[in-house]
Parts: sequence; structure tokens; C-alpha cells
Amino acid sequence: MDKTVVVGMGSCGIAAGANKVYQALNNYVLQLPKVEFELKKTSCIGMCFKEPLVEVIDKTGSYLYGNVTPELALQIIETHINNNTPITQFIVSSNVIEAPQNYYFDLQKKVVLANCGVIDPESISEYQNRGGYVALKTIVSSGLSDVDIIEEIKKSGLRGRGGGGFSTGMKWQFAHNNKSDDKYIICNADEGDPGAFMDRSLLEGDPHSVIEGMIIGAYAIGANRGVIYCRAEYPLAIKRLNIALSQARKIGFLGENIAGINGFNFDIYLKEGAGAFVCGEETALIASVEGERGMPRKRPPFPAESGLWRKPTNINNVETWANIPVIIRNGASEYAKLGTENSKGTKVFALTGKIKNGGLVEVPMGITINDIIYKLGGGIKGDKKFKGVQLGGPSGGCIPAHLGDTIVDYDSVNKTGAIMGSGGMVIMDETTCMVDVARFFLDFTYKESCGKCTFCRIGTKRMLEILERITNGHGKDDDIDTLQTLGQQIKESSLCGLGQTAPNPVLSTIRYFRDEYEAHIHSKKCPAKSCRPLLTYIVDKDKCIGCTVCARNCPSNAIDGEPKKIHFIRQNDCIKCGICFSKCKFDAIQLL
Amino acid sequence: MNKISTVKVTIDGHHIIASSEDTILDVANRLGIKIPTLCHDPRLKPYSSCFVCVVQINGNNNLQPSCSTKVADNMIIETNNQKVRESRKTALDLLLSNHYADCEAPCKQTCPAGVDVQGYISLIEKKMYSKAIELIKEVNPLPAICGRVCVRPCEVACRRNLMDENAAVGIDYLKRYAADVDLNSNNRFTPNIAPSTGKKVAIVGAGPGGLSAAYFLQQKGHQVDIFESKPYAGGWLRYGIPQYRLPNNLLDSEVKTITDIGVNIFYNKTLGENLSYKDLSVNYHSTILTIGSQKGTLLGVDGEEAENVFSGVDFLRNMEVTGKPADFTGKTVVVVGGGNTAMDCCRTSQRCGAKKTYVVYRRTEAEMPANPIEIHESKLEGVEYLLLTNPVKVNADEKGKLKSLTLIKMELGEPDASGRRRPVPIEGSEYDLEVDFCLAAIGQKTDINFIDDINKNSKNGQLKPDRWGNINANSKTLQTDVESFFAAGDGVTGPATIIEAIAQAKVAATSCHQFLMGEEIKPIEKDFVSKKTNFTDKIKGDIIGKYARKMRYEMAVLDPQQRLNFNEVELGYDSQEKVLEETNRCLECGCTEVFNCNLKDYSSEYGVDQKRFAGDYLRSDIDFSHPLIEIDNNKCILCSRCIRICDEVVGANALGLIYRGFKSVVAPSMKKSLVETNCESCGLCISTCPTGAITENVTFKPGPVKTEKAKVICQYCGVGCELELHHINQFVVKSSGVNGMSNPDGNLCKLGKFGYRVLNNSRIKTPLKRIGDEFIPISFDEAYKIIVEKIKHVRPNENGFFAGGGLTNEEQYLVQKFARAGAKTNNVSSFYYLNTEKERKDNCIANVPFKQIAFANNIYLLGTNLTNYNQIVGFNVNIAKKSNNAKVTLVSERDILLQERKCNSVVKIKSYLHFIRAVNFYLISNNKFNRMFINDRTSGFDKYKTVLLELSFNELVAKAGISEDYIIQFANEYNLSEKSILIFAEKDLNIATAKELINLALITGKLGKESSGIVCLKEKCNAQGIFDMGVSPYFGVAGVAIDDKRFAEKAVLKWGIPVFKPNLPDMESLLKMGLLKNLFIFGEDPIGTAKDKEQAKKWIQSAEFVVVHDLFMSETAAAADIILPASWSYQTGGAYTDSSRNVKQFDVAINLDIERSSWQQINDILLLLKVKANISLSEVRDEIFSFMENSNRKDHKYKFTFSTNQLEPLFINGCSILEKECQI
Repeated sequence: MDKTVVVGMGSCGIAAGANKVYQALNNYVLQLPKVEFELKKTSCIGMCFKEPLVEVIDKTGSYLYGNVTPELALQIIETHINNNTPITQFIVSSNVIEAPQNYYFDLQKKVVLANCGVIDPESISEYQNRGGYVALKTIVSSGLSDVDIIEEIKKSGLRGRGGGGFSTGMKWQFAHNNKSDDKYIICNADEGDPGAFMDRSLLEGDPHSVIEGMIIGAYAIGANRGVIYCRAEYPLAIKRLNIALSQARKIGFLGENIAGINGFNFDIYLKEGAGAFVCGEETALIASVEGERGMPRKRPPFPAESGLWRKPTNINNVETWANIPVIIRNGASEYAKLGTENSKGTKVFALTGKIKNGGLVEVPMGITINDIIYKLGGGIKGDKKFKGVQLGGPSGGCIPAHLGDTIVDYDSVNKTGAIMGSGGMVIMDETTCMVDVARFFLDFTYKESCGKCTFCRIGTKRMLEILERITNGHGKDDDIDTLQTLGQQIKESSLCGLGQTAPNPVLSTIRYFRDEYEAHIHSKKCPAKSCRPLLTYIVDKDKCIGCTVCARNCPSNAIDGEPKKIHFIRQNDCIKCGICFSKCKFDAIQLL
Repeated sequence: MNKISTVKVTIDGHHIIASSEDTILDVANRLGIKIPTLCHDPRLKPYSSCFVCVVQINGNNNLQPSCSTKVADNMIIETNNQKVRESRKTALDLLLSNHYADCEAPCKQTCPAGVDVQGYISLIEKKMYSKAIELIKEVNPLPAICGRVCVRPCEVACRRNLMDENAAVGIDYLKRYAADVDLNSNNRFTPNIAPSTGKKVAIVGAGPGGLSAAYFLQQKGHQVDIFESKPYAGGWLRYGIPQYRLPNNLLDSEVKTITDIGVNIFYNKTLGENLSYKDLSVNYHSTILTIGSQKGTLLGVDGEEAENVFSGVDFLRNMEVTGKPADFTGKTVVVVGGGNTAMDCCRTSQRCGAKKTYVVYRRTEAEMPANPIEIHESKLEGVEYLLLTNPVKVNADEKGKLKSLTLIKMELGEPDASGRRRPVPIEGSEYDLEVDFCLAAIGQKTDINFIDDINKNSKNGQLKPDRWGNINANSKTLQTDVESFFAAGDGVTGPATIIEAIAQAKVAATSCHQFLMGEEIKPIEKDFVSKKTNFTDKIKGDIIGKYARKMRYEMAVLDPQQRLNFNEVELGYDSQEKVLEETNRCLECGCTEVFNCNLKDYSSEYGVDQKRFAGDYLRSDIDFSHPLIEIDNNKCILCSRCIRICDEVVGANALGLIYRGFKSVVAPSMKKSLVETNCESCGLCISTCPTGAITENVTFKPGPVKTEKAKVICQYCGVGCELELHHINQFVVKSSGVNGMSNPDGNLCKLGKFGYRVLNNSRIKTPLKRIGDEFIPISFDEAYKIIVEKIKHVRPNENGFFAGGGLTNEEQYLVQKFARAGAKTNNVSSFYYLNTEKERKDNCIANVPFKQIAFANNIYLLGTNLTNYNQIVGFNVNIAKKSNNAKVTLVSERDILLQERKCNSVVKIKSYLHFIRAVNFYLISNNKFNRMFINDRTSGFDKYKTVLLELSFNELVAKAGISEDYIIQFANEYNLSEKSILIFAEKDLNIATAKELINLALITGKLGKESSGIVCLKEKCNAQGIFDMGVSPYFGVAGVAIDDKRFAEKAVLKWGIPVFKPNLPDMESLLKMGLLKNLFIFGEDPIGTAKDKEQAKKWIQSAEFVVVHDLFMSETAAAADIILPASWSYQTGGAYTDSSRNVKQFDVAINLDIERSSWQQINDILLLLKVKANISLSEVRDEIFSFMENSNRKDHKYKFTFSTNQLEPLFINGCSILEKECQI
């Protein structure tokens, strides 16, 4: 068979209806004794905004159909497969013909996502067919020692993709240097930032790349046990990981004398996390694996010295592990060609918010924020004005529109007050209130604080109360100062990253959008017209014709007026629901 | 792991060498640099949650918690710079913003003088009236006066009001009661007076302010002279308040308490007239003006100059000055005003015979500032009220004499500046009221006509009036503009209350003292006080439904019919019972830990503002469900120390955190009640709580009040922990651990922590003699006489003496001396060790010091439950397991669930004896024994080996009830492990087994090494003393054999007695055969604690004459013929020898409350028996030491012994009534 039909079955695809599409195709296949194509599943193809996606691969190349319904799917079979006529109007991207979204893949550089949306993640052979486990075999064939591998990783310049950006090679070195009978490596798959789904997509799309990375890591630091700490909210990722783990065990990549290396014993245990954000923090994660309440402890000692069960432990996140096989397979120097001087390789981002093309992208380090937003993301939804982008989730900060030329690179991003983070990118437009954004993220961290440290436990609560007060129109003159002072103190006096970074969204929005805070506090106005208690609806006397629609629809009877006469909103009774605004056909209701 | 190295660090500029294992806090502590911390306890691993201990490390932007940050080479640390201080303050501000709790009760907070009401009510509850007065007089020297006439803001604030309508605790009644008792007692409270400073202070005015200031300053060692313009002291108290409220004789008595400490009062001296600035400045170093505010004001309406219109103040004063009541017989009197002066005027008018007395007030009764009780009483006395009425004109007759008043009706309008609704006249409502006298009680003014004299002569400033005509003084220090002059009371504030004048006197006296001592004059620093009212006004929910409703005991008053005189109307409480009932109405709103609260101390130090981060806060009910431990989550700061100590030290894990983030709370596991968890009730959680969130659940009123402390040795088990008793006048309110030999971390178990309660129980206080079924008190002499006669009446060996393991060494020594030297018999023993003492003696020959247990690698518990008794040992075992990864194995014949869950391995067997014998058999028969140790350090091995190997290994294994494999595994593991300890309690193992355990340790050579060997646990604090003091027919003093010449010769020499041989038959047989006619039982309760009660009863009953000497009426005492009251060891001091054979001496902790102490009683009898007695306890001690000489054998060898004695102990609780009485 020279034709293949691949359905994108990541969580994004399934959510958009990919199951029905796949079922329709499968029914079609089952009904006929023989079909001229092979039907396959894959995971997230990356163009989440066009899901469900169906890719047709024929002799000429690849054609990606977007927004596919079961009916369209059958039509594709009929027209494209059976009659060799691509239905161009539904093709979003192709390497053969011109298609509207072709740029989407052209700008990306797929390194860790190379297999995502391509292979069937539940098939180890498909992974192997695309170079999977070659790196592991390279170790055997080239006789690489543990030290060689660590040097190679150092040389690659790979930095932790979990957000910290610490040199992975150095981290391995520490764990390697600590001698112990038992050592652990952990894959941190507790992705919890609002708006982030990079790790999930990777685990769903290419679980073996992570497992292979961990095996190489285990070999390098001398670990005999591995743990993947994955949040229980990722059932598909967990399912596919479990399948991949048993496949790897069966084939001898996990277990004893792995890949024929005498004495190299290593296996991985999958631990489901209960969804506490703080468990993404190394020491809290370890406590959670040990069955304790997920609370961080003071470092040092670092896990490399005393980690899980007080043994030397190395923790990297999903994306970091997935980079490892590529580095070993292609060589560090090849890898280091990508990226900037101090930030090598690529970075996966999850684009969400007020962006046209939301989805998962992998870009080389060094690309600008503007390129990501305008070229990859297609610009702002509804062509509104771009205001800023929140990078790094609740721990990160905001990069305002005027710094859109900032390049994606650990050091450049840090300079803006944001952090690279794990790759969540929330795009905000002119209708987004920055005080409210800060409130949203703080509400998240306040709820996710484990409750151990005073500053994080009570301080975030107090900051949140101040932000709520401001967005409710009760801000006080010194609230900005209090937020800054308290925020700074929370950063300086918290045990773990959660507390140390919790005030960042507030501090960075104050830094770039102080005028919005001031407008809320002093003028009791929300410039983005987003904070409901601060809105004022009035009737434009020139436009009102007295149709009474507004008055009839007002749930609080706050609108007076007789038919054919100008209406009037009693502000004291107005609950700012905006119904009048949306009901008025004459644009006579104004929002101040 | 990193190697430990030495590092150089700089901390606040000090260069110091430290270990790389030290934390910054360790190093700072060593240098004496104080770093505050709330979540750190040296007993626990560093945790770092409070972030109060942060410091700055050079080169690090973030602050670091010093409790968990280790020092590193070349580290430069600043512990107290501005950034650090601000961060600490914010941390505390944040903690306090969620600390819904009151440090102090509202009564104390509201009292202008800050009298500790809750404290003195607690003392009154304990009938410590003078102590209560002492507490009050720290800030208020006039309790008897205030107990009568204070306006009682405390009672207005009292939270009882929230429960029982208008029924605050009778605070003033209680104070009055205590003050009257104290005033009338022979040894009433007098303060300590500091040595003379040589400074002199003049006080102008002998009113409440002047008297109080004098009292405070005289105490500081200054000579205080008061100048009073009137012929008597008291000021307003005498010349303003009528006698029916405050009798002059009472006033005089209380004034005398002040002159008694050396204060002089010079009468008829008026400043500006016959007392000048010069007099003051030349003769005195400083002056305090307490001149009052006594110029009455009139009505301020037309015609008020008419005859018979007076100011109320002048009216009242006049009567006192002339000594004659006004004659209002048949007259109509109008009193204008609604304050307390108006009340005094109207009630006095009635007493002066007025036909009718009206009170005219322009608002309603609700707005009247007068004390409601006064209004109530005045109505009873016939006063009529014309409310919402105001005079507008005074009408006089042609002679200028008052004829009538023109009054106008009023209505209430908008609230004015005072918050009260402003009265507005109703136009046209005027009417005339015919009256004979009008008393204007609407205000007073301060008279400062002496000011010119001062200003003319003063060289250090000018006295200024303020805009109301009062003396201008600094509001914080009360220093006037004349440097050496201070002022207090109404003269500064304008007319106010007595208690405000007293409060001001304290401030002025403090400032004046600072001035005299050349110190900077600083206001009295106010400690931080957490207040529920900083969070909400709705506090009712904390009270309603939480306490039983209880109406207030009103005090008796004079019948209204009998009030046409100036006799005191309020009669005071007439019984202690009522007083006690009323004290029990106090809800104790203030925190019991207010004096020991780290959170409060730091909050004061860092100037915390509880409202800085006002917002949401957690509010929860207090959990009283555990009988000993109270959990108040409102006060919790989530340091988790309780949780961690319960895990790391106790191992019970009874507490944990639930929920997350801001909502996190500490709760017993599974959110159950603490009693339903694995809680061992040790109270370590209480000991570690830095606030008052976990406290002791007590049955008495804790106060809290400041206590005295006395260091003693615990009176319960043989571990011998050191502790401190906190007591008020010998009433023990608390026990806390101190760092002792057995408890170096200061930990205590539940008995050490809570067992003090028994000290407050009522005890036997006099000798008692049985008459039929009754006991009657008799004198000591009579009791002695009976005893001596009974001894003389029988043959020496028909006497039997018993001494318990709870007696001190001195007492035990005296009991055996009583037997041997007094009654000339060797029949002396203890029921505790009855018939086992010969073999039990070796149980703790080589006990591992308790503190070394924590460092062991392998610990074996032989049926030992350390969760209920000997808990301190259990803690050490747990610490070894948690910190040292020690393996803890429990080998047990029974289920001990709480202990089992704390062990790594639990092995159930059928017989300890056969198990250990099988182990020993295996080791010896396989040549796995430590030959060098056996050769050098032991004797009797070959004989033991022969006897043992004659047994059948298979039979031993079968009877042990466990597999041979396990026995071999156990034997090998134990044999090969270093630092391994076998732990057993005497009450669990029979003698033969205990001996086999010792044999096991000898075979493997485990004795005499650090953290290695045997721990034998005894039930009583001085069970070891029974052996050492020779309380046994087999041993003499110093534990040598009874016929050993080292004892025998000395005994013959000292006591003139024959050399005794070991008894035949033994004591148990003597009891069984009923051969003991006289029984003398000291500190033991064989009947109450016997496993076979009937047998024990029979033994006692078969004697003809039984003397029991004990603290409480035990079951054995109830069967006695004569009961002697024992003194508590803490009342005499003494020494206990713990199970590790350390002798621990302690001093007198609480006062003796019986005529003769225990040791004195024995001496008294010995004297009557013509034996040389000891006149002091130290003499007893010397005598004991004289027996000890040469008793230590240097060539000591451990003995292998084989015993077949499988008898179990006959008594529980170490044969003592104490545990039963303690009931924990």
C-alpha cells in the first residue's frame, strides 16, 4: 500500500472530535474486504487550532486536512484516495502544494517533536524506524563511558527545559559524583501551569524518546532506578507511557544488563501525582513519591546529594529527557548548531490565549517573540492590539508588546523580568486587563501553595486580596507599594520556587502596566474594560431611539425610560452585566 | 556525603571557625547573637517554614533561613540589618494577620491601669487572696477602695455579658473580697522596698493618684512625702464619695498600707498658700502634682447665683469637711446631671432627709454616664428621674433664695462628637418646678492658681495650663514643662475616674523614677497584644454554646428601708463558696501562654501591626476532646513543630497537616479526636508549641500568673527525668522538662508532664488511729507511743518492715535503720521486690545510660511497651530509628499494637525464657561467643554452659514458639551487631528470663560499651534505692551481703546491733505463715496494687498491728491500725537512684504542710527506741555515705547465673498508690 491516512489523536484532536473521524474511517475499512490505504493513529500534530486533522500521505507527499468531520473524512477517501484528487480547499498544509498554513511548519524546527504527529506512539517499532533507541545502541557500539556521555551533554549546551535553565550536563555530573549503591533518576512530568501542555503532548506523542533519554541518563550517572512522576490528570499520557515501558522492558531496554551492557540494570516506575502544582518542585516531588505530603524542603542538600529515599537523585523534565537521544544520536556539535550562544537547541511552546493559531510549536532558540506571535501564531484573534505575553506561567512574567523583539533565549527572556519557564505562552490583547491577569495567576499560586512557608502561605493570600480589592474598585493609594514591597519579600523569603516566583506576574505587570493599576485605584476605571465592578454603562442620547429593549432586558430594572424617549441607566442599581450593551441594536449603550 | 570540615565564617563582623555541619543559627547561638525563630526546636530536624529566622548572606539576593542553612567557608552573614529586620517584621505581620486570638482578656485590655483580672481571679479561685492582692498592687495600690467604687470598665468589657444578659463576672466583688481578707489578715501583703536611693519626692495631693504614685516610688527606694491641703487623706475618695459607698475607716486602712511602707503625709499644706515652689525645689529632687479637679461648676443659666444652688462637688465636700450631713428634712432637692457625682448627690440628699429628690438629665437613662447599679440603687432609695429635661432658668424669691427651676423638655437629635445623640430642646415645653435646693453635678474644673508661684521661681521651665485649664504634661511620660515636675490624675485629664488616676500615677511614677536615676525618660513600652477585635466585632460565636450559662452571684446590699444613714450599702460576698462560684464564671478569655509565647515576644520586639495585612482569617473551634491536651487552631502559626515532634521523637504520628495553602491546619490524623489516634499523651506537642495553640487542658484556673520554679526528679518511673515544677505558693500549675542526665533534650513523658496534678490533691495530713471502722486524728506523740509499745510488746522478729521504691534514699535508709537498729530485726523488705530481691539485684548491673539509646544501631524490646510507661526510653528508641536508621525489633508474647507500629520488626513468640535460652544455646553450642570478654570480665561461664547445654535445643525452640531459623537469625544478627541494646521492663519478664538476657549480653560481650548492653526498666523512681539502701533481708546498706563484714561491723559499731544472717524463712513465707505480728509499711500499697488482692489482704489482716505511712488513703492504709502522714519527697528534698544507678539529688521544692516530715517521724520513733537519731537530712546522708566507703569493688566481674525462678512480679504500678491517684 502506498497510501496512508493518519488521524491526529492527541488530547487536542480527541477533544475536537477526532474519535468520530477515526471511527468513520475505521468503519469504512472494516466494511470493505480490501482497501487501498493504511489507516493509522498519531498524536498531536501541532496545529491544534485546525483539529481534527487528517493527514494523507501518498506517493507525491503529504497533505494535511483540517477541521475534518466524519463526512469530510469519507469524502477524502472517495476523492483523494480513490480518485487521487486532493481536495485542495480543505488542505491546510502540504509539502507538495501551496496551502494556507504551510508557513506553520516551515518556521518550526522539530527536534523533540520530530516524531509527534508522525508515528503511532503506541508502537515501539515505529519509533525505532525513525531512529529510536539508536542513541542507546550507539553507546554500546561506540563504547561511550558514563563520563563521555556527561561530557557530550555538557558540550551540547542543553539547559533544563523545566524552566530553571540549569546546565543538564552539570546536573548529571553532580549526581554522577555522589557515590551510592542506589541512585535515582526522575522524569518530572508534573506539568501544572495553566496554559501549558508541552509535556503532555510529548508523552502522548513520543513516550519512547523520554524513556530512551532516561535510560541514557541512568547509564551516565549510574542510576539503577527511575521514576516518571506524571500527573494523574494526563490519563492518555499515562496509558501510553505504560505501554511504552512494557515494550521497552520486553525488548531489553529496561531491566537487567540493558542493551547487553553487563551490569547496567535500570527500570522505571510510573508514579501518578495527585495534581498539586508544588509537586513540580524537586524536593516536594520527592516527598510525594515517598508518600509524604508534597512539601518542599530546604536545599542544600540538593537531590544530587540526597534525594529520593535520601539517595543521589537526578531530576529532569520531560522535554529535557526527550532532547537526550537526539544529542547522543547526532552528536553534541550537531545539536549545538541550533540556537543562540548560551541557549542551544529548540524550545517547545504551547501557544494559548488571544492568538489566532493556538497550538504546540517547536522553534529554534533565537526566534523573536513577534515572529512566534505574528508568523507562527497568525497574530491576535480578531486583529485586536497585541498587549503582551505571559511566559513561564504563574512563576513567570509578562513581556509587553513593545519588547516583542526579544529573542527566545534564557538570558534575553530573564532580562525582561519574565522567565523561559517550561513553555507556556499566554497571549494577551488590548481587552485583557493586566491587573486581572496578575490576579488570575496569583489566585492560582495562592491555591497551589503547599502552606509551609509564612510568606507564600499568607503573603500570596494578602497580595491576592489586594488585587481583588483593586479590581473591585476598592484599591487604596498605597496598594501598589504594598504589592511591590510584599512581593519582593515573598520572593526573598520562600523556600521553594513556587513562593520565590509567585509574585512575578504581579511585579512584572506593575513594571510594564503601572498605569493600569493606577487607573483602577485612583480613577476607579479598568482601561481594558474588563473588570466588571469598574465599568459604567451609559445611554448615548444621540443614538437612543427609545425602543425600550434595554429596559425590558435589564435584570435589575436599572433602566428608566418611556417608549420613544431617551432612556437612562440608574448607576446605583446597575449590576454591570452588559445585557443592555449587547441587546441594543443602535449602539446607543456606551461602555465607559 | 560531604565530609565534615572546619570553615571560616563572619557573622555580624565576628570571625569564627565552625563546623561545616553547623547551621547559621547554631553558630549565632554560640556567639550569643539572638536570632528569632518560631519553627525551630533543637530537638527536631531543621524545617524552615516561619521565615522569622532569616539572615542575609553576602552575595545572595534572597534571605536565608538560618535554622536550616549550613555555614560554608568564607561565608559573610548579617543577622540584623534593615532588610532582615523588615522581612522578619513582615513575616510576623503576616502570621499575626491570621492569628485570631486574644493574648489578654478584654477585662485587662480595658482597664486603664491594666490590672491582670484573669490572673487575680485565678489566685482567688485558689484562695490565695494576698497573692491576688500582690498581683493587683503591681499596678493598682488601692484594691479595697476600687473594689467598692471603681466604675468597672472591666465588667463592661467582660465577655460573660455576651452570654448572661448584664451579668459580667463580679470582678469588683471578687477584688473587694480578696482585698478585705488581705487587709484584715495578720500578714497582709506588703511590697518589697528597694534599698534607699537617697532621693526625695514630693507629691502634692493625697488623692488616689498621689497615693498611688507615692506607693510606686517608695517601692523603688525613694523617700516620698505627700502634701495634702485637707486634714485627711483620700482627696476625692474622701471628699467626693459619700461614706455609704466608701466608709472612711476602710479608706484609712488602705491609706495606711501606703504610709506603712514609709510614705509621709503632711496635712493642711496647700500649694501656692503654705507650700511654695521653693519648699519643693529645695527639699525634693522631684515633684508630682496630683492635685485633682475639684472646682464645681454651676448650671450656666440665668439666676444660678441664687441661694441654695450649689455645685454638687461643694455640697459633698462640705459635708465631709464639717462632718455633718446637710439637713434637707422635708425639702425638695433637684440634682442636675447624669454622672456618678449626680448619683452621689441624689442618694446623699435622700439620706439627708429630703422629702423628694429629683434628678434632672437632658438625655435618656441609656445615655447616663453613671454606673447603672447606682441608678438602680438610687431608684430603690426613692429618687425620681426627670429625663429629657434641662434647666433653663433659676428662679429666686425676693430674698434671693431659690424658689423654683424653669425646666424644658428635650428630644434626641443627631449624634454629636461623643457619639451620643444630641439633646435638642422642644420649643414651648418649659415649665416650673418648685424646689428648695439645687445641686449642679455637671462638671468640675481644675484649679491651678499656684502656677504663678512656680513659674516665677522655676529655672528649668514653665508650667503651662492646657486649653481646658488643666496642667499640661507630656501625654506619654506625664512630665510637665518644668523638668523635675510630673503630673497625674484629674489635674491633667480633667475630671475622670479613680482607676484612670491610678493608671496615670504609674506612668508619672515611672517617669519620675527615670528622672531621679538620671535615665532617659521613656514611656512605658507596651507589649504587643493580639486581639480578636482586630479581626471582628462578632465574638459572641466563640462564647455562646461553648460554656454553661451561669448567673452572677450578686452581693448582698442593705435593705432600702434601712438606708437613711451613711452605712455602707454594699455588703460584700459573705462566703468563700460564693466567691469560688463567681471565679468559675470567668471564661478565661486571655491566653494561658501569654508569659511564654515566643510569637508575642517577637511581635513586641519587631513592633508588629496586626492590622497591616488585615484580610481573611481562619476561625475554628477549640478542641477540648483530649483530657490533657487542648488544640486551638486559631492560634496556630503552622510551624509544624507539634507534628514533627510527634513523628521524630515520639513516633506516634498522631498529628498532621490537612488542606493546603492558606487553609492548611494542624489536625489529629484522619481528622479524628486526638484520643482516637495513636497519641501517647506525652504532651511533647505542648512543650514545643511556640504560641498557645497546643496547651494543657487543665481543670483549675491557670490564670495565667507568674510562677516560681523548682527543679526536681520525676517521682514516677526509674528513668529519673529532671523537671521543673511551676508553682504559685506551692500550688503546682505546670511541669516542664529541663535538660537532665536521663532526658538531655528536656523531654518528658506523660507522667512527668501531667503527673504533677497529684501534688495538688488532698492528702493525709495528721496521724490517724483506727477506732472500729473509723479513723480519728491523733497527735504524733500519741501515734509514736502506740508504735513503740507495740514494738516492745513482741519479739524483734515478729516485726516486719516494708519500704517502697517511691521513697527517697534517705527515707529507705531510715526504714531499714528503724527495723534493724530500732526494732532489732532483719525483717525489712519491699513488697515491690518481695522474695525476688536477691535475684533482681543484678538486673541493672550494666544499664546503658538512657541517652545513649538514641545512638544504637539495633534495639531489641522484649515484650516492652514504651508507649505508656518509661516513654522517655521509647522516645530515645524512636530517635535511634528515625535519625540513626536503627533497626528496632519487638519480641513479644502479647499484642502491643501501639509499640508494634513503631518497630521495624515484630516477632510473636510463646515464651521469652525459652526463646532467649534457645538463642544462648545456639550461640554457645556453635562457638559463637566472645571468649575474650568472657575470660576477662565474667565468671561462672563454664558452669552456666554445662547447665545450659544439658537442655534440649529442640525443646527450647518448641517452647519458644518460633522457628529455629528465626532463632538462629536473631542470634547471629544480635551477635554481629555493634551498638545493640536489649530493653526489658522488670514488670514484663520473670527473673529467670531477665538472667538469661544478661547471659546473652555476656556471651556476646555487649556490656560496658557505648550504646551497647542492657536497659532494665524499673517502675518506681527509686526502686534501685531498695538495693542500695539495704531494704532487704539479704543486703545491708550499700547493697553488700547482710553478713558482709563491711556492713556488719559498721552496723554493730553505729547501731549496736548483732550481725544479722539472711532471713530464714524469707519474708514472703513469714507473711504467708502470719508470723509477722507488727507490720510497718512505708510508701507501699500492697492491697491496692496486688495481682492477687485477696492474698495481699490476708497477709495484712493476719498481723496484729499495722502501721501504714503514705500520702493518700490507700487500700492498705484503710486496713491499718495507725496511719502516719507521709511528706512528699518534694517537700523535704532527697535523692533517687535511677535505673542506670545514677544518684540524683534534689532540694525542697514545695513547703511542708504537715507537722513532721517522713524522715523526722522515723527519727522521732528511733529516739524513743533509744537509737541515735539524725537531726538533719544531711546528717542522714552522711550516715549513708559512711556505709558506702569501700563498698565499690574494683575487681568486679559479671556473673553468669542460671535461674529457675519464673515467678512474675506480685504487684502492679511498682506497688505504689501514686499512679492510681494520678489517673492519666
